[in-house]
Amino acid sequence: MTRLRRVGLALFAPVLAVLVAAVISSAVMAALQVDPVRVFQVMFDFGSTPDEQVTALVVILNRAIPLFLAGLAVAIAFRMGLFNIGVEGQYRLATIVAAAVGAAIVLPGPLHVLVIVLVAMAVGALWAGIVAVLKVTRGVSEVISSIMLNFIALGTASYLLTGPFRGSAPGASIVATKDLPESGWLPGINGVFSALGLVSPPRELYGFLPLAIIAGVAISVLLNRTRFGFDLKASGMSPSAASASGVDARAMVIKTMLLSGAIAGLIGLPDLLGKTHSYTTDFTAGLGFLGIAVALLGRNRPGGIALAALLFAFLDRSLVPLQIASYPASVVTIIQGTIVLAVVIANEIARRIARRQAERSSVLPAAAGPGAGGGGPGTGPTTPADDTDERQGAQA
Amino acid sequence: MATPGALPGSTSGGPEPGGTSTAAVPYAVELRGITKRFPGVVANRDINLRVRRGEVHAIVGENGAGKSTLMKILYGMYRPDEGTILLDGTPVTFRSPADAIEAGIGMVHQHFMLADNFTVLENIVLGSEPTRGGRLDLGEARRRIGEISERYDLGLDPDVLVETLGVGDRQRVEIAKVLYRGARTLILDEPTAVLVPHEVDDLFGNLGELTREGLTVIFISHKLDEVRRVADSITVIRRGTTVGTADPKTTTARQLAEMMVGSELPSPETRESTVRETPVLRLQHVTVTTPEGRAVVDDVGLVAREGEVVGIAGVEGNGQAELVDAIMGLRRLSAGTVVLGDEDITAWSTRARREAGLGFIPEDRHRQGMLLEAPLWENRILGHQTRPPAVKGHFIDRRAARADTERIMREYDVRAPGPDTLAVALSGGNQQKLIVGREMSATPRLLVAAHPTRGVDVGAQTVIWELLKDARAAGMSILLISADLDELIGLSDTLHVMLRGRLVATLDPARLTPEELGGHMTGARTAAGAA
Repeated sequence: MTRLRRVGLALFAPVLAVLVAAVISSAVMAALQVDPVRVFQVMFDFGSTPDEQVTALVVILNRAIPLFLAGLAVAIAFRMGLFNIGVEGQYRLATIVAAAVGAAIVLPGPLHVLVIVLVAMAVGALWAGIVAVLKVTRGVSEVISSIMLNFIALGTASYLLTGPFRGSAPGASIVATKDLPESGWLPGINGVFSALGLVSPPRELYGFLPLAIIAGVAISVLLNRTRFGFDLKASGMSPSAASASGVDARAMVIKTMLLSGAIAGLIGLPDLLGKTHSYTTDFTAGLGFLGIAVALLGRNRPGGIALAALLFAFLDRSLVPLQIASYPASVVTIIQGTIVLAVVIANEIARRIARRQAERSSVLPAAAGPGAGGGGPGTGPTTPADDTDERQGAQA
Repeated sequence: MATPGALPGSTSGGPEPGGTSTAAVPYAVELRGITKRFPGVVANRDINLRVRRGEVHAIVGENGAGKSTLMKILYGMYRPDEGTILLDGTPVTFRSPADAIEAGIGMVHQHFMLADNFTVLENIVLGSEPTRGGRLDLGEARRRIGEISERYDLGLDPDVLVETLGVGDRQRVEIAKVLYRGARTLILDEPTAVLVPHEVDDLFGNLGELTREGLTVIFISHKLDEVRRVADSITVIRRGTTVGTADPKTTTARQLAEMMVGSELPSPETRESTVRETPVLRLQHVTVTTPEGRAVVDDVGLVAREGEVVGIAGVEGNGQAELVDAIMGLRRLSAGTVVLGDEDITAWSTRARREAGLGFIPEDRHRQGMLLEAPLWENRILGHQTRPPAVKGHFIDRRAARADTERIMREYDVRAPGPDTLAVALSGGNQQKLIVGREMSATPRLLVAAHPTRGVDVGAQTVIWELLKDARAAGMSILLISADLDELIGLSDTLHVMLRGRLVATLDPARLTPEELGGHMTGARTAAGAA
């Protein structure tokens, strides 16, 4: 009963946000003389043949994997109240270095992939570590420094791509790093579809999917079941209470940012290992920023982030069909934007409802039982914590 | 002196009664049958309150008895489900505190809401700045503040910075703020909690001036002796309803307490000494400085032995908080050593200190003691992240944490539905009992207890005092920092007085009155009587 209510409350905010976003974007479309019903029809049209439908599913899943990782990276920092806006720079830099290192070495298959993954994580962690060190030693806000470092990371990536890591022929229209040797590729896992009795589509489902799931489960366990996760959560809820309980706040900032950066380093790998095999000038950009939205919508929980990533991937997939049907693709951007705005508001509303419910439910048992502890000394049953007075009194 | 009744800035209508009350004069504030329900619970039930104009009317009751709900109703924060509020005989409805202020009701909060870097004048006008043609008109404000200050003998200098003022002066600024907004009924929430005895006397003098000028004061307090001294009449609230009124002249503190809790007034007094020889905590030349180099804790040395309660008395802001931080490892020492048992822990982290047997009841439980938005079982783990029963290796043992939380709730009388309740839902007393239970459960060698019964009701206070006494008898060493003089004198085996960062006197609590202690705390008495 209470569990059901808690789940309902957890779902309430994101679902409300998505609905509000749908309504607002419909209104915007209507204002632009675009028929929203038709647009949504196009978005939900996955094609008529099983082949097309499974392909659409693969496209969504392939996009959802990096979005999930991006959301995860942001959420780890979020849990302790750190705003890692630098995920974008962290993954771009991590991907190009990993691509270059991967292309430069030859190792047996799984080991080669492992090295690339570790390099990407290390670079991402290192880049995020700069933010942490600045915050801990100089008190620089992580928001400011991570935004600044995004520019530096993107600039550095461009320099590396056109300079030392350049692998494409001079004059080629797209500048790229050298291709990874085949031992560094992560083959697709379309076998799942056959195993499920579905048509195997022409597109490959990224082999990174199981790795992303492992990462999600590992982070979930780490955050919810371990001492480290407890310290992290406590630091996020109340830095002062956490330090009084023995958490070293500075070490915690560094550890959290390193972890967040390491996960951020993985974001580019599904594409790199599964499809492009090299870092190019047109390598997928913007995943780090979308990750913030995904984390918000997923309420910083791995399960929620997975759902949010699927939703954003679904929106992303509809870009092409919309353009084919000659609808403005910016519709998707509008929906994504309004989701972010709506989710921030809805989360706050849900938080307040949860808190109020908690306050009421606690008063209940003491007061409901007539004469419970009657006459004896003790904290009377009636009102919610007296201490809230002071805050509310501040309005006066 | 101006005639009563013609009060500055009084805006509300209604009959304007004279300074002396006659039988025909309606009550300044009257509540009839006020009931306030929250889903599933009645917070206030059939409250009846009659406050005559020009009197100090005390409202006493335990925390959680419904005083705060009642005050929120009177101050327009809640709307009652049933019953009527009458001001000067006229029924009123408040939609917000703004309405209440408009009707002449002002609230002086327990915790001051003043901007330190503003002057007294600026603080008073903040939020209702007088303007002329869109520009700030401080001349008019200055005139009115001067008038208020003189009429009620508040002795305010409008141009000094608030940060230079003491606690008593700050409180007078708060009172002036409310008067400036035209209040004719003042609600004072626990006004003496932060004052030392002679400041309390000053405050009561000011309240006398206010009532002499025809203003009405509603005074909320736990301290029954003070209530009896200052109040003209008393209303007692218990379990959400008014259980009666009392005449302070004919009622003893004990009788009042019985009305409040239905049992005897607890006493903090400990009986025989349990002090043993072994020192647990030794501070030597402990000095803490601000970044600017000012010493906030200055060359402090003390010893706490097994089975000993060492009390530290002092007006707040004299370095006690910094001393606690230094012992807990939350603040770096600039000189001196902290020794726990035989080990020099000066350079240890907070976690290492806690693991070595330091328990901590923080001064501000919301800031340092709890995760308000987390369930109780997670709060059970807080501060004990590295120790059983809540933790196995690097993993949290949720089941054991829940089970142990239930044990704490049972043994320490924490009233809450269950270990999954959010901490924010508990009343202050229950939160504190959870913290005390949590810290006691780890059987620390030294317990640093900073204001352990602050803001908790009489019932919880008794429980906490008993727990401290039992722990002391069992050989625990306790460092007690408090502003409650009775608590300090009653519980301590040794009592140090802290003033401007230094321990200025060591007193024998067995031969000490609160008044003497108050004198030492303000520096009025020197260490002449030091033992």
